[in-house]
Amino acid sequence: MLGEDFHELLDDESQRNFSESLQSKKNTILKSHGRPPWYGEDGLPICDAFVIGIAGGSASGKTHVARQIVRSLGSVPTVVILSQDSFYKRLTPEEVALAHANRIDLDDPEAIDMPMFTACLTDLKGCRQSNIPVYSFAEHQRLDEVKYLYGAAIIITEGIHALHYPELRSLYDLKVFVQCDSDLMLARRIQRDVKERGRSVDGVIEQYLRYVKPAFDNFVLPTARYADIVVPGSNNSVAIDLITTHIRRQMTERATHFRRNMASKSIECCLSDGNPVSSNLILLPQTPQLKGIYTVLRDGKSNRQDFIFFVDRLATFLIEKAMEHLPYRPKTITTPINVDCTGKELDVKNVCGISIIRSGGPLTKGLERVLSDVAIGSLLVQSDARTGEPLLLHVMLPKCVRERHLAVDTWVFLLDGQIGTAAAAFMAIRTLLDHGVQQDHIIFVTFLVARNGGVTVLQRAFPKVKIVTGAVDEGLREAWLDHYNEQGEGQSEGDGRKVWIVEPGMGQIGDRYYL
Amino acid sequence: MAASTSPTSQTHPASLPPSVFTLPQTAQLEALYTIIRDKTTSRGDFLFYSDRIIRLLVEESLNHLPVVPKTVETPTGVTYEGVGFEGKICGVSILRAGEAMEAGLREVCRSVRIGKILIQRDEETALPKLFYSKLPEDIASRYVLLLDPMLATGGSAMKAVEILKEQGVPEERIIFINLIAAPEGLRRFCGKFPSLRVITGWIDKGLNEKSYIIPGLGDFGERRYCE
Repeated sequence: MLGEDFHELLDDESQRNFSESLQSKKNTILKSHGRPPWYGEDGLPICDAFVIGIAGGSASGKTHVARQIVRSLGSVPTVVILSQDSFYKRLTPEEVALAHANRIDLDDPEAIDMPMFTACLTDLKGCRQSNIPVYSFAEHQRLDEVKYLYGAAIIITEGIHALHYPELRSLYDLKVFVQCDSDLMLARRIQRDVKERGRSVDGVIEQYLRYVKPAFDNFVLPTARYADIVVPGSNNSVAIDLITTHIRRQMTERATHFRRNMASKSIECCLSDGNPVSSNLILLPQTPQLKGIYTVLRDGKSNRQDFIFFVDRLATFLIEKAMEHLPYRPKTITTPINVDCTGKELDVKNVCGISIIRSGGPLTKGLERVLSDVAIGSLLVQSDARTGEPLLLHVMLPKCVRERHLAVDTWVFLLDGQIGTAAAAFMAIRTLLDHGVQQDHIIFVTFLVARNGGVTVLQRAFPKVKIVTGAVDEGLREAWLDHYNEQGEGQSEGDGRKVWIVEPGMGQIGDRYYL
Repeated sequence: MAASTSPTSQTHPASLPPSVFTLPQTAQLEALYTIIRDKTTSRGDFLFYSDRIIRLLVEESLNHLPVVPKTVETPTGVTYEGVGFEGKICGVSILRAGEAMEAGLREVCRSVRIGKILIQRDEETALPKLFYSKLPEDIASRYVLLLDPMLATGGSAMKAVEILKEQGVPEERIIFINLIAAPEGLRRFCGKFPSLRVITGWIDKGLNEKSYIIPGLGDFGERRYCE
């Protein structure tokens, strides 16, 4: 544990850099592969993230234990290690001065912004995004920047007071206390501070006696009784092994439960009887031009130039039509010949686009032609070559979605080439809802919807999401692509791949537009 | 699921001449017009938002061109009964404001030929007079999309149609594309050329004593090019 005494590091530039690099090292995000579905057929999240709290004295080895757990867990979707240091309270100017003079007790539980800590951890546990504050030991102040976190399956919270507050304890699925001999902790501390930070032994001991030791005796050690398991601070491989076995079993149980829940969601079972769906599937009027455009796009012999041109033209038209579903309010203006006129204006606080890579890309061009300065985020969803399960590989969202207080007033144009099995659409909508976007503020824009595909399940789960499309096709067929030349997560290189094909469809929209 | 089977996506109020088609009068379209009518709107916004309306107008007017059945094979190996575009088209802009609609036209109809007509008021007779025209040579065999953003009294539009007819373009192959029309002008124009079609975005209240469209948006060419 390196953070609690950083207020002793004064203005030396190298020290500052050192402390900041450590700070960023303490909050760690590890990803091993994409995130499998975390929701059921009803669209609701199935389970919370697994949360582990690790407490223990300063220099007892909490960070080490956290890292050992991650290492021995091996392949898990996403693990976040969250340090208590991030949640030091915002200090007043007087307090900052005291801190620089080494007269602020950062070992006291009161130094932690507990409501914020609890709120952030509650959001992360509930599979929602969180924007974690960033504390600078160099400036002794919380910075204005935040660290955006979303989608962790396992969260490890570590800090001397991690088990102190009942609000936090109630969030943990597993509570760990790292037990270490006081002499050993002091010895490690002296060794570390003298060697690595050029401090005097006297200075280290003075601080230890003034703040560190009393805090440990009064606040830290008593919390050991809340722990499910007490781990020695060194030679603890057996304990780590016990913990990871437990976590793995818990995760497997959740996954089993999940798959049972998802089983009925397999595409065969949800093929609808062709009965169309809700009024929120909006099909554009089938005018001669629209049919003509689709004829060009569906024709396998159309050349690349024509395909790209007509995709762009159609995208622009689809977005214009989708814009009709935003709210408008009356507005009175004066014309250049000084006549007053009551018209309308857009009545939204934030609007953005989010494209599902790759075939959502062509629609972003249409969006930019209609809303010139709109923010456009992206999501990458790929299906696992072995299981066919969708995996969320990449999330890059505009600020108005990333921050929850903005997301509730944000309208999102979600863009993807087609809705076949709807697996990617489902995952994307769930991701937006996790961020606090309201369901009826999501407008999904797509070139093609397979009537018998996943759109039925999608609309059952998210009845308020509007889908704007230019064509609804009758068929969805399973097929095997022999040489699917794609590499990356979830793909087994060189092998073929099982896919669902919309018929008559437009072929692989992304390939035809980009390759 | 709302699917219309009509050949166009338009509404058609009973009081209009049958050859006049307006864009669907949605709140979204009204909001676009509100921006370009507002005298405080910057030139950049005026350009951007008038282009959006122009694109919608061109998309709509193309629905009045003929299509023929066409069967294609999709990349998935299935046949699809679609339609193919039929007939050659060209644009003709009435200078100068009509030129503003050319960019929007070309965004929808790639590399379409565009002719130009300059008509101004003759100071002596106060009647519209042809000053200049440059049209595709084979214009008589094409459908003509005639571009003029504002239709007030309809004087210059009528003159332009006369010129096109002189060049051998049949009246029923002319589609007049227009952002804002005054009812008086529309009635005159359509009364004189009943088989020509008019695609307009919005029909305003009327004309004032100076023959400006009310509420209108001022001088389109001035705002688009000069302000």
